[in-house]
Amino acid sequence: MRQVKDNIATQKVKISCENIRKIFIQKGDQQVHVLENISLDVYENEFLVILGPGQSGKSTLLRIIAGLETPTEGKAFLDDKPIEGPGPDRGLVFQSYMLFAWRTVLGNVEMGPKLSGVPREERRRIAQHYIDLVGLTGFEKHYPHQLSGGMKQRVGIARAYANKPQVMLLDEPFGQLDAQTRLFMEKETERIWQTDKRTVIFVTNNIDEAIILGDRIVTMEGKLPGRMGMQVYNVDLDRPREPTDMEFLKLRHQITEASELVL
Amino acid sequence: MSTSTVANEIVQNVREKKEFSLLALIRNEYFLYVVSSVAFVAIWHWVAAEQILGKSLATPYAVIKELYRLTSTELAGQTLWGHIWASTQRILIGFILASLVGVPLGLFMALNRTANAIIKPVFDLFKPMPPIAWVSIAILWFGIGEASKVFIIVIGTFVPCLLNSYNGIRLIEPELYDVVRSLGGESRDEIFQVSFPAAFPAIFAGLQISLSIGWTCVLAAELVSARSGLGWIIVQGMKQTKPEMVIGGMLIIALVAWLSSEALAHLEKLLCPWKREIEGL
Repeated sequence: MRQVKDNIATQKVKISCENIRKIFIQKGDQQVHVLENISLDVYENEFLVILGPGQSGKSTLLRIIAGLETPTEGKAFLDDKPIEGPGPDRGLVFQSYMLFAWRTVLGNVEMGPKLSGVPREERRRIAQHYIDLVGLTGFEKHYPHQLSGGMKQRVGIARAYANKPQVMLLDEPFGQLDAQTRLFMEKETERIWQTDKRTVIFVTNNIDEAIILGDRIVTMEGKLPGRMGMQVYNVDLDRPREPTDMEFLKLRHQITEASELVL
Repeated sequence: MSTSTVANEIVQNVREKKEFSLLALIRNEYFLYVVSSVAFVAIWHWVAAEQILGKSLATPYAVIKELYRLTSTELAGQTLWGHIWASTQRILIGFILASLVGVPLGLFMALNRTANAIIKPVFDLFKPMPPIAWVSIAILWFGIGEASKVFIIVIGTFVPCLLNSYNGIRLIEPELYDVVRSLGGESRDEIFQVSFPAAFPAIFAGLQISLSIGWTCVLAAELVSARSGLGWIIVQGMKQTKPEMVIGGMLIIALVAWLSSEALAHLEKLLCPWKREIEGL
């Protein structure tokens, strides 16, 4: 549980970011340095949490890995192949769910297989499997507007999973949920991940969520432009983790101290 | 009451029998609808019968009697049904023509920047022009026949068709396209799986606005020059100083316009059961 950098060197690297720099040009040619010299390895089947306050560039890093943004400098790799654009090997889950309002739960979940031309019967079977996995059995014919926030995000997770991605990218997926539903969804995420293991990159601003879920936690700070720091923490706690455990609190304290985060 | 738990959330099916109470009846909105409608007709009757506004207001009964008379009496060779159909036909032709051009054009403008840059300045010039301003030029160009009336309806209904289709696409959350792309979709999928279905309610709202504008346009056209239609009936009533005929015409227009918009609303419910509220359009 000490602060160690990359001590899991025996594992296979799935995603690799090399010296990534991202500058956005705002109105009036103002440059905003969002990411500065970011290097990061993510191992296969690892649950990696990127923790940081708003505006720290964590979502931008995730979007670069997703292939939805191009870094100004540096490159991101998936299995040593440079990431050039979005693809079905990386599944995305959004904070604002981004469900297809005009499709039922089943229609949403089967979208990925449908786009890759999986025959109807087969994609129904896949979709049903993941609907069951996220606990939405019986809601297949519901439309998103009939679901609560937590249920909507279950659909979002099932939809990403049903496309069988190698890497799951979750961008503050529970940011819009109330505290209780959020805690429950964290447990559910852990359960789903343990049932169907993938490499997961999970972005959050919530330190408890980070410690409950992460094998490793990467903290990002965006307060000093051009000096964005990254710290890596290994979380060697047994799952499921309880936020009231002594070890949990120690790590929480350590991260808070080191990163000057107001969390 | 039955309760079930799904995904850690409790679903309750509440079905309780309500007991009758006077207070609940007075607050019941359907009851209030009836009260307000009856009161309106009663006040109308009283004002007309007592001739408070002079002889220019007919009683509800006189209006109904006049409408009944018109269903069997021919005016300019047509009964009331013929005139209703004449107006409806003009609207349908104009409305369908306008939506067949306006909707695809709006979608195309929203999806193609070059097309947008070419069409938008011209469209913006014509957009604020009230369709009724076209009445005179339409008569000059197309004479007083059917063509000029249909032309005015096309001009009037075209604008909301195009605008709503255009905005419907423009207001789509860009992240929805990210979803399709990250699920392995191509640009074709972005258009067919996101753009079109997501814009559908906005397009439909545009059609509904168009239809009601269509009724305004057809009236304007018929008031100026026509030998048939509901607008023409109103003009006849005015010329013959028959307020019951004018009011009767107005009522029929309201009724037919309402029926047609209800039909469209019903069609929308059938076509998109997932409809969400669209604000700011």
